[in-house]
Amino acid sequence: MTTIADTRRRRGRVVARNTAVGWSFLLPNFAGFVILTMVPVGLLFYYAFTEWDVFGGATWTGLENFRQLARDASFWTALRNTLYYAAFHIPLTLGVSLGLALLLNRKLRGVAFFRTVAFFPYITSIVAIAQIWNMLFSPGFGPVNEVLRWIGVDNPPGWTTSADASMPAVIVVGTWRYMGYYMLLFLAGLQTIPAQLYEAALVDGASAWQRFRAVTLPGLRHTTFFITVLLTIESFKVLDLILVMTDGGPGQSTLVLSQYIFQKGFEENQFGYASAVSVVLFAICFVVTVVQFVVNKRRSA
Amino acid sequence: MKRSLAALTALLLALSASACSGDDAEESGPVTLTLAGWSLATTPEFKTLADGFRAAHPDIAVELKEYDAANYDTQMIADLAAGKAPDIYVQKNLKNFYTYQNGKQLLDVSDVAGKLGSGVGGLSSYQVDGKTWAIPYRQDSWVLFYNKALFDKAGVKHPDGSWTWDDYATVAKELTTKLKAAGDKALGTYQHTWQSTSQGFALGQTAGADLQSGDFGFLKPYYEKALDLQAAGAQVSFGDATTNSLTYQAQFGKQSAAMMPMGTWYIATLLSQQAKGDADTFAWGIAPAPQATKSTTGTAATPVTFADPTGLGINPKISESKIEAAKSFLAYAASADAAKALAGIGVTPADTATAADTIFTLKGAPTDDLSKFTFTTHDTKPENPVSKYTAPLQNILKDLHTAVLSGSKPIDAAITEAQDRAKNEVLSK
Repeated sequence: MTTIADTRRRRGRVVARNTAVGWSFLLPNFAGFVILTMVPVGLLFYYAFTEWDVFGGATWTGLENFRQLARDASFWTALRNTLYYAAFHIPLTLGVSLGLALLLNRKLRGVAFFRTVAFFPYITSIVAIAQIWNMLFSPGFGPVNEVLRWIGVDNPPGWTTSADASMPAVIVVGTWRYMGYYMLLFLAGLQTIPAQLYEAALVDGASAWQRFRAVTLPGLRHTTFFITVLLTIESFKVLDLILVMTDGGPGQSTLVLSQYIFQKGFEENQFGYASAVSVVLFAICFVVTVVQFVVNKRRSA
Repeated sequence: MKRSLAALTALLLALSASACSGDDAEESGPVTLTLAGWSLATTPEFKTLADGFRAAHPDIAVELKEYDAANYDTQMIADLAAGKAPDIYVQKNLKNFYTYQNGKQLLDVSDVAGKLGSGVGGLSSYQVDGKTWAIPYRQDSWVLFYNKALFDKAGVKHPDGSWTWDDYATVAKELTTKLKAAGDKALGTYQHTWQSTSQGFALGQTAGADLQSGDFGFLKPYYEKALDLQAAGAQVSFGDATTNSLTYQAQFGKQSAAMMPMGTWYIATLLSQQAKGDADTFAWGIAPAPQATKSTTGTAATPVTFADPTGLGINPKISESKIEAAKSFLAYAASADAAKALAGIGVTPADTATAADTIFTLKGAPTDDLSKFTFTTHDTKPENPVSKYTAPLQNILKDLHTAVLSGSKPIDAAITEAQDRAKNEVLSK
């Protein structure tokens, strides 16, 4: 005959065993996260206040790296270029991916094919993309300038080889690369808007533009916010595309903060200084994201 | 449960057994040195050195550890910091030598250096505070490669070693015009997109030029000539070369250019590509790099050029028992025997005089006297004079290079900006 105490004991054993099993699944992942992510991030904040060339110990220098950053013209150039990229890349990608999503959210013949095509740049190797676009942008005999000359532009831009046009060229390619991914997120968002809302708007005689403004945009608010946050962080961290397309040049016209960190750390072996730039980049991403959350919360309220 | 315990015990036993056998091998067995290299499938020099050394020292094995050629220094620095680097590692160029030496990642090999012959070039670059920290086994030099067939087609006289940069530019333009008239699309010359093609020569050939002075005015005449060649259409524009990722191997090897300033490492590549069919088969030769003034031209003089030596250093974390073996390897790599073995695969050893006879007997190599003179006679200045400022200064100069050659900035403005950056961001630290 089992007593209440026995039942409790058995239940306690089951709970303990389940907890242990749960932790055994969680721990490897959690340990990996702590060791591979949290510890390096923590160390980064420490090294930002040191002089460290990777060999031997780091020397604590307090705020010296940040004082140097304030006087470092290349850092400011990299920061300006990063903001330039973000300021154009974010709205452009938002607009293009939303437009694509709206276009491919209809019941068209072969819509799956077009969705795949739009998504293709996102899964293509960044090196291949950069090489191909570089060839398209080639100032002498690239197809882009051939077309421009054909339509009567006498002096087409040098694109990636011109200090003025290199950043716009990179932004165009960046937008093209990421539009498919964000289009997919927008498509998912569009599926969540109830069809009845559109039907009701149609009954009320709303035009397509009115339906877009009154139904689609509000219905996509959460998706748009999520995409904006992702796009912002991605834009501030841009590196691979620029590294392969322009290597920060010509001159420093496309040098961005991520590349500057790479340069200072891995090319010049100033890991303390590179960590300080990383901390600044982290702070910018953090502040912008917090502001976005606050603004979104106020709007939702 | 019993089965789990048995498995665990077996595992522990296996681990302890393997640990014991490892210790035994290190204590009493033959010595095995590990040597860093890159792109082992296409860069046979490391295997050539390892095999040659093994033949002379049968009791010492050399095991190769492959690194990525483009990220060699990044990967090596990471491995050294983690204590996982090979016993012997290559100083690929001088740009990062300061990092290794100042970071105490190199063993003092002054005793090896003291026994080297006088014909070994590039040794002084590895000497700091009276001690030697690496031993050169290669000493390339930048020379002028030229396509004899295209010169003949254009009816232009071959280089004779007497050229200044003005002569070179004149011939490049003449070749372009005459080749076009002969129905050939090849241009007069190809200067690759690297900053070395202008800055290496400028630094090496200008008296008193010094990167650390922060005065980069000495670059101006070299950039004026490079821009002039682009404007004249005698050279592919920098923009087209970078956006189309042109390779210098294809430009010269596929006969798109009649001349090309390049390092002597290209001899091995060209011979191999011609043998495999990756490059066209044509007669070619090497001539001394064009000179700043007439005073260093002609076969009676010593032409001034540039390139960094390639050296071998010993990881200070190497076990005591291996140090002598590693030093023997470094001594072998700089020896006359190794020089001949390297020359046998087209690589330019540090002792070029000993190797000249070997390299010019290779199938497809030129046999003319000027090529032999070029290979053996030169005053080769370092491209990256060793200092703690080298890497950041070269990064600033790279920006200057791309800004000027792309036409984004006038030469004077780019030099002024680079000087300001050097002063504020590097030299003041």
